[in-house]
Amino acid sequence: MNSLIRLELVRALRNRKFLFFSVIYPSVLFLLIAGSADDTTKVDGTGLTLPTYMMVSMASFGALTAVLMGNSERIAKERENGWVRQLRLTTLPGRGYVLAKTAGAAVVSLPSIVVVFAVAATVKNVRLDAWQWLALTGAIWVGSLVFAALGVALGYLASGDAVRPITMIVYFGLSILGGLWMPTTTFPQWLQDMAKWVPTHAYAALGQSIEQSQAPHARDIVVLAVFFALFTGGAAWLYRKDTLKA
Amino acid sequence: MTKTTGAPARQEVAVAFDRVSKTYGNVHAVDRLSLTLHPGETVALLGPNGAGKSTTLDLLLGLRQPDSGTVQVFGTGPREAIVAGRVGAMLQSGGLMDEVTVAELVTLACALHPRPHPVSDVLARAGVTPIADRKVNKLSGGQEQRVRFALATAGDSDLIVLDEPTTGMDVTARQAFWATMRDQADQGRTVLFATHYLEEADAIADRVLVLHRGRLLADGTAAEIKAKAGARRVSFDLEGAIDEPALRALPFLTALTVSGQTVRMQSTDADATVHALYGLGLYPRNLEVAGLGLEQAFVALTAAEEAKQS
Ligand SMILES: Nc1ncnc2c1ncn2[C@@H]1O[C@H](COP(=O)(O)OP(=O)(O)O)[C@@H](O)[C@H]1O
Ligand SMILES: [Mg+2]
Repeated sequence: MNSLIRLELVRALRNRKFLFFSVIYPSVLFLLIAGSADDTTKVDGTGLTLPTYMMVSMASFGALTAVLMGNSERIAKERENGWVRQLRLTTLPGRGYVLAKTAGAAVVSLPSIVVVFAVAATVKNVRLDAWQWLALTGAIWVGSLVFAALGVALGYLASGDAVRPITMIVYFGLSILGGLWMPTTTFPQWLQDMAKWVPTHAYAALGQSIEQSQAPHARDIVVLAVFFALFTGGAAWLYRKDTLKA
Repeated sequence: MTKTTGAPARQEVAVAFDRVSKTYGNVHAVDRLSLTLHPGETVALLGPNGAGKSTTLDLLLGLRQPDSGTVQVFGTGPREAIVAGRVGAMLQSGGLMDEVTVAELVTLACALHPRPHPVSDVLARAGVTPIADRKVNKLSGGQEQRVRFALATAGDSDLIVLDEPTTGMDVTARQAFWATMRDQADQGRTVLFATHYLEEADAIADRVLVLHRGRLLADGTAAEIKAKAGARRVSFDLEGAIDEPALRALPFLTALTVSGQTVRMQSTDADATVHALYGLGLYPRNLEVAGLGLEQAFVALTAAEEAKQS
């Protein structure tokens, strides 16, 4: 299985377009949004400056891009062209393919998180304690597994031309509703109430509570756990269905 | 290169299908198919498009589950045989991982095999050493087939399964590929390949299974298949009333049609049949005896089956 993971990594790192989108693009977006904000503007009700707040949002967005965009389309394509079938003729265990894909995504998502942090720290003078940097990196990296599972599920759900638009809708929906592009505090009240239950919102909130040196909200943890169970369960179910039909 | 398995493999059965059926909706893709393959055999699974060849191989490889019947590979289920590294396969619709090189992909296949061959050997035997550094998504159809063959032969497997391996190749590439396949058989491996080219079966296989509508029509050497189909075509005209039952009783006859005064038949021994025809006291006019090519033999076999069914 390690050999497949290794090859998936090599391939992920070789794909310039994908690397650009998941590693560089979130930092560029961070600079566009937070670049003109001065270091003292606070985001309503958070006590965090806009750059500090947006740094977590964009790191989460970058990780989301890496784990969701790459995998769903790849899996759908490789299911269709028969590579998945060919792998079933090897000693690779059934879940090996999905694990390799997830590992491949995780390796791209880590630099995308770190690059956003580096840009925020150097360009916008975001200052945090050492433990906060570490905890943030860990939380955002591990939290991205929720969306990696979603990416796998989408790859097994949709096929052909359908997978890209579906992934796009889910990706933009999650990014906007979750407040990754602009704080949800700018939303109308009814939308704010809804956004609380969106997994990306809980995901970013996790990081923001670390920045505030607070314990994470129980609700965010529960939302993430429920969605993780939902996405992995869905992915496992779709995977088995696909295997039976060969 | 040493021989694949020692003496014990000789005794066991490589592949056993016992009344295996698989339907898609109301299509009987495989219909109560029973067959046994022995270690060391080179077997062609021959049949026209839609005969059920790919479905048969999918069942053999455990990619599909039979509706009824059992499939055994080296005495175990297909998946167990694959995990034990005893089977290497190349699918008709087997895609490749793109954006990696041929060498990287073959290295992966070797790493996933419990008894891998050295990567350079696998590349050389499949004839892909010159394109080892090319990206797999930049290959021609024939080159891609060779890469897929390399994946199927990455390790010391006892059975190699190939589904229409020469699809997308021109005549020279096809003949070169046959040598590659024979090389696997010469190492003592059991080779099972699906094809709809009779000359391919004739050129490589020492046993031919003819599949039609999911059923086994014939099982024998290419020569026997030809004989069974009626290797010679005999036609003549008769005057007066034609006694069909008497004609049907002629020796070595495999097919008979009477239209008007013209009789057409196929015989595995035309000389004996014609001799017996005179023996009946008949006087055939415009007698013609012609050889039947393998292609025609195959058409005859399948046509005979269709006639039986309707
Ligand atoms: N996934 C499928 N769904 C429905 N019908 C199928 C499927 N696969 C094959 N068939 C049908 O089963 C029959 C046998 O197909 P196949 O095994 O591919 O034959 P061959 O490989 O000999 O061309 C054909 O009639 C084909 O249309
Ligand atoms: Mg086929």
